[in-house]
Amino acid sequence: MMASAAPVLGPVDPYLIPALDGVAYGLLLFVAASGLVFCFGVANILNLAHGTLYAIGAYTAAALLDGGWAMLLVALGVGVVASAGAGGLLAGLLAPVARRDHLTQALLTFGVALAGGSLLVTAFGPDSLPVRIPAALDGTVVLAGHRYAAYRLVFIGVAALLALLLYLAVARTRAGMLVRAAVDDADMVACLGVNPARIRLGVLTVAGALAGAAGVLGAPIIGPAPSTADNVLLLSLVVVVLGGLGSVRGTLLAALAVGEIQSLGVALAPTAAPFLLFAAMAVVLAVRARGLSGRWLRLRPRLGGTA
Amino acid sequence: MPFPTGTSRRRVLTAALLALGLTVAGSGCNSGSDPGGTPGTIKIGLLASLSGTYEAVGTEIRDGFELYLRTHDNKLGGHKIDLVVADEGNGAPTAVPAATKLLKQDRVHALTGIVGGGSVAAVAPVLAEAKIPFVGSNGRPELKDVARIWTTSYLSDETGAAIAEYVRDNVKGEVFTIGPNYQGGYDQLRGFTDTFKEIGGKLANEDGKTLWTPFPQTTNFLPYFAQIKASGAEAVYTFYAGGAAVDFVKQYAQSEIKDLPLYAAGFLTEGGVLNAQGEAARNIYSVLNYSPDLDNAENRSFVAAWKEDHDGSPTTYAMASYDAAAVLDKAIGAAGNNPTPEQINKAISELGQINSPRGTWQFSKDTHSPVQKWYLRQVRQDGRALSNTVVGDLATVGG
Repeated sequence: MMASAAPVLGPVDPYLIPALDGVAYGLLLFVAASGLVFCFGVANILNLAHGTLYAIGAYTAAALLDGGWAMLLVALGVGVVASAGAGGLLAGLLAPVARRDHLTQALLTFGVALAGGSLLVTAFGPDSLPVRIPAALDGTVVLAGHRYAAYRLVFIGVAALLALLLYLAVARTRAGMLVRAAVDDADMVACLGVNPARIRLGVLTVAGALAGAAGVLGAPIIGPAPSTADNVLLLSLVVVVLGGLGSVRGTLLAALAVGEIQSLGVALAPTAAPFLLFAAMAVVLAVRARGLSGRWLRLRPRLGGTA
Repeated sequence: MPFPTGTSRRRVLTAALLALGLTVAGSGCNSGSDPGGTPGTIKIGLLASLSGTYEAVGTEIRDGFELYLRTHDNKLGGHKIDLVVADEGNGAPTAVPAATKLLKQDRVHALTGIVGGGSVAAVAPVLAEAKIPFVGSNGRPELKDVARIWTTSYLSDETGAAIAEYVRDNVKGEVFTIGPNYQGGYDQLRGFTDTFKEIGGKLANEDGKTLWTPFPQTTNFLPYFAQIKASGAEAVYTFYAGGAAVDFVKQYAQSEIKDLPLYAAGFLTEGGVLNAQGEAARNIYSVLNYSPDLDNAENRSFVAAWKEDHDGSPTTYAMASYDAAAVLDKAIGAAGNNPTPEQINKAISELGQINSPRGTWQFSKDTHSPVQKWYLRQVRQDGRALSNTVVGDLATVGG
C-alpha cells in the first residue's frame, strides 16, 4: 500500500517518523541506562559490564521467543532473572575491591564484560540472531500517511509504563528512599547501620534486572549480536554523562535527547551523523558540567570545584 | 568508603567513555602445530579472523580451506600439507604479529586467508620482505606491488559495477544509494555509482552523492529511510555486511519505503545474516560471484561435502577459500618436486582457467584478482528456509 501522495503536515512531514522513533529509541535507552545510573549513583560502582547484562536479556529473547505471547512473558521472566543473577554475581566479584578506586572497578568489570562477551559468543555463535516477536506485533501501522513498525509503537507504551513505575518506586517506596539517601550521603547511610555490601548486592541485582528487561523487550530494536554489549554500554554511558546521577527525570530527559539526536538529528543532518551525538554531549558538558538536570547534587554540600 | 564528589565522578565517567571509544579489544592467538614437518611436507599458513567482529567470516574461510584439504587427502599438488592456522583478530594490529609468526617462525611456503583489506595492506610489506606468495581469499585493498599477492575473491568495486546495467534496465526512475562510511563501503558503492552514471542511470540522492552512514555505530536506519522516501526514489542500492546488514534489512521491511525494490551487493544477505533477517529479507535482489545453488559439478560436490559438517549452505567466503586451496593445489603440483615459495609464486602466475564452484575463472594478469562472472540472486523460499537463489547471469568483470 502506498502512502498518501500529499504530505499531511507540510515541511514537518518527512521528520514525523524519525521524531516518533526517537522517542522509542530514547525510552529503550532509558530502561537500559537506568540500571547503570543506579550502580554509579547509589553504590558508586562504575559497571562497564552493564552492556553485557543487556546482551544476556537480548540473547534470552532470541533463544526463547517463538512468535507467541506466552513465550514473550516467559522470556521476560527468564531474561530478568538471568541478568539480575549476573548482576548479583558481579556484586560478589566486586566485594574484595569494594574499597578500591573507580579504575580498579572499571578494569574488573571491563574484564568481566570481555569474558562475558566471549561466553555469549561461544554459547550463541558469532552471528546476529533472529528474534521472533508475536505475529500481531510483527507488522506495520500507518500513522498520518506514514508506515511505522507496530512493535516500536507498542514498545513506547510499555517503556513509558516502566519509566513511570521506576519513578514511583524511587519517589514513594522505602527502598526508593534508601536509594535517594545513598545518593545524597552514602557515609551517613552507612553510619545509620545499612550494610554497604547489602546495598551493593541489591543495587547490582536491580540494575541487572532492569538491563535484562531492556534486553528482552529491546531485542527487536537493538538485537543480540557480538557488538550489542558495547553499543548499549556506550549509549548508556552517554545517557549517564548527560543526565547525571540519581534522578529518574534527568536520566529520562537525557535518554530521550540521545534518542532524538540519533533519530531526528540524523534525519535533519545526515552528513553530520558520525559526530552528532558526541558533539551534543560536548556542548552539554561545556554549558552545564552537571548534565541536563542539575538537581541530583542539590542536597549534597559542594566539595569540589565546578570543573 | 571515601566517596568522591559528583563532579569528579562525572570526570571518571567521561574518561571511561573516551577510553571505551578508543579501546580495540582483540587478541591474536595461534593454534599450534608441530615444528619442522617431515620432508615432502609443505607448510601453508592460514590467517583469518577467528575472534572479534569478523569471526563469522573468518570461520567460513578456515572451514573452506580445510574442506578442500579434507576432500583431497590432505594433499596439495601431491605434497602432504601442514596447515598452520593463526588468528587475524579485528585488523592490522593483531594481523601483523600473527602473520610475522607464520612467516618467520613457522616458515610457511605460502600464506592464505585474511578477512580485512586493512590487514592485507599491513601484512603486504612483511610478505614482500620474506618473499612468500599470498593467495588471499577475501580482503583486497589497492596495492602498488602485487607481484606475490593473489586474490581469489574479487575487487571491492566490481560487485556494484556488475549489477549497474541490470538496475538501469529494470528500474523506471531514479535510484537511491546508501552505504557504510568505511573503505569497503566506499569501494562497493563507488563501483555501482560510477558505472551506473556512466551508462545513463540517475541517482535520487541529493547532489548525486551516496548517503554514508556511520559505521559501526549505526543501528537505527529509520531516519535515513525518511530521507529516501522524501527523495522520490524508485529503488535503492546498498551494501552492508554483518550486524548492520541485519538491522538494515529488518528495519527496511517495516519502514515506509518497504515497497521500494531493494538491490544490494550480495553480502547484505550472505551467510548467517540471512537467518537473522528472516522474512524481512524475502525478495531482495543481490549481486555476487557465487550462490550455493549454482548448477555445475564442482559446486554440487563442494556443497554436498560442506553440508556434511555444517548446518547451512556455504558462503562466497568459504568458496573463495576453497578456491585458494585449489589454486595452491594446481600451482604446487606444477612447481616441481621440492618447490620453493618463489617457484610456487611463478607457477600461480602461469595458471590458466580454474574450475571452481562459482564456474570457471582465471587470474587477471594486471590485478592478480579473478576475471569472473557475477550472478543476480533473489532471496526466495528453498524448502523450509529462505535462501539466495540465482535468477540470472550478470556481467563478467575483472582485470
